[in-house]
Amino acid sequence: MGSVLAAASPSPASAAAGGGQGVPGLVSVPPGFTMPAVSSVPPSSGSDQQAADADSSLPNPGTYEECHRKCKEVFPLQMEGVRLVVNKGLSNHFQVSHTVTLSTLGDSGYRFGATYVGSKQTGPAETQQHKFVNWQCDMEYRGEDFTSAVTLGNPDVLVGSGILVAHYLQSITPALALGGELVYHRRPGEEGTVTSLLGRYTGDNFVATVTLGGAGAHATYYHKANDQLQIGVEFEASTRMQDTTTSFGYQLDLPKANLLFKGTVDSNWVVGATIEKKLVPLPLTLALGAFLNHRKNKFQCGFGVTIG
Amino acid sequence: MFPSLSSRHRTLAKMSGANGKKGPSSGVMDWISSACRFATDRNDFRRNLLVNLGLFAAGVWVARNLSDFDLMSPQPVT
Repeated sequence: MGSVLAAASPSPASAAAGGGQGVPGLVSVPPGFTMPAVSSVPPSSGSDQQAADADSSLPNPGTYEECHRKCKEVFPLQMEGVRLVVNKGLSNHFQVSHTVTLSTLGDSGYRFGATYVGSKQTGPAETQQHKFVNWQCDMEYRGEDFTSAVTLGNPDVLVGSGILVAHYLQSITPALALGGELVYHRRPGEEGTVTSLLGRYTGDNFVATVTLGGAGAHATYYHKANDQLQIGVEFEASTRMQDTTTSFGYQLDLPKANLLFKGTVDSNWVVGATIEKKLVPLPLTLALGAFLNHRKNKFQCGFGVTIG
Repeated sequence: MFPSLSSRHRTLAKMSGANGKKGPSSGVMDWISSACRFATDRNDFRRNLLVNLGLFAAGVWVARNLSDFDLMSPQPVT
């Protein structure tokens, strides 16, 4: 009947003809018999090459800070007082913002912000009362399947103080990424180091991230139910504060109604929500927010308008 | 001498039963209130950790199983 190797590239015409007609390179078929139809099987050496290509094409895992950000963005921000924000883009690389805040709990005032984004990206800069409050320098290197970053905060060579933060994140599989963080702080008479490990698993519509360290544990779960609904669950445990908190948040995005609603409830008996509505066709976004702390019997609400 | 006090005592005696045993409903309420006190007690860090881990697991289960609804779907015709 012939061998599989001999029939690796079958010729349908010759198989149909049968009758003893032998195809060059194949076993000659006796009269009255036909070669069985064999599907073309790719050579086994090709699959090994494909597996090697898949191992080497791991995606870049992104930055260390982005791991928990997806879940954090689902939760509403606590608003208090009145806030007016005017954003003005001066060019593709330069944007300024003017913020006026009126608050009963915090400081009221005016804040000017400038952001420059170029080929070498730098962070936003804010000035407050004509002096720099803090500054930092960060460097990031993105490899094929890893990301490393070093941040230097408030370095003072004369006093001998500053903070150094190092991040490393490695893709193990297309879905799993593992990494770590090292924080070294120093000031006169004191220095210390805090380390933590991070693991992130990405599914089809969810992202689960866990951070474990000496300071505590942080776990987040982000779930995208559909285009409108996103859900986030967050767990935080602090060994220093001897406290644990679990929060549940959701985000409803209705672009047809120009509406964005976020709600949250947590284990500290805090319930809050924010609603943002774009006042089309005006370049205005109206935001309302309220938070209620049942344990402390405190209520907080805020109102904001963003232009641009 | 104190008629209101004696009537109060009679009411308490009725509630607790003739032989002093509590009814099943009050026992369940006591169990629920003690369970709530156990769950919300913030003095024990390990207990808070376990309670919040359970809440986190429950939140993940709700997110994965109870979030499959479409707000923009057409309303059913009645």
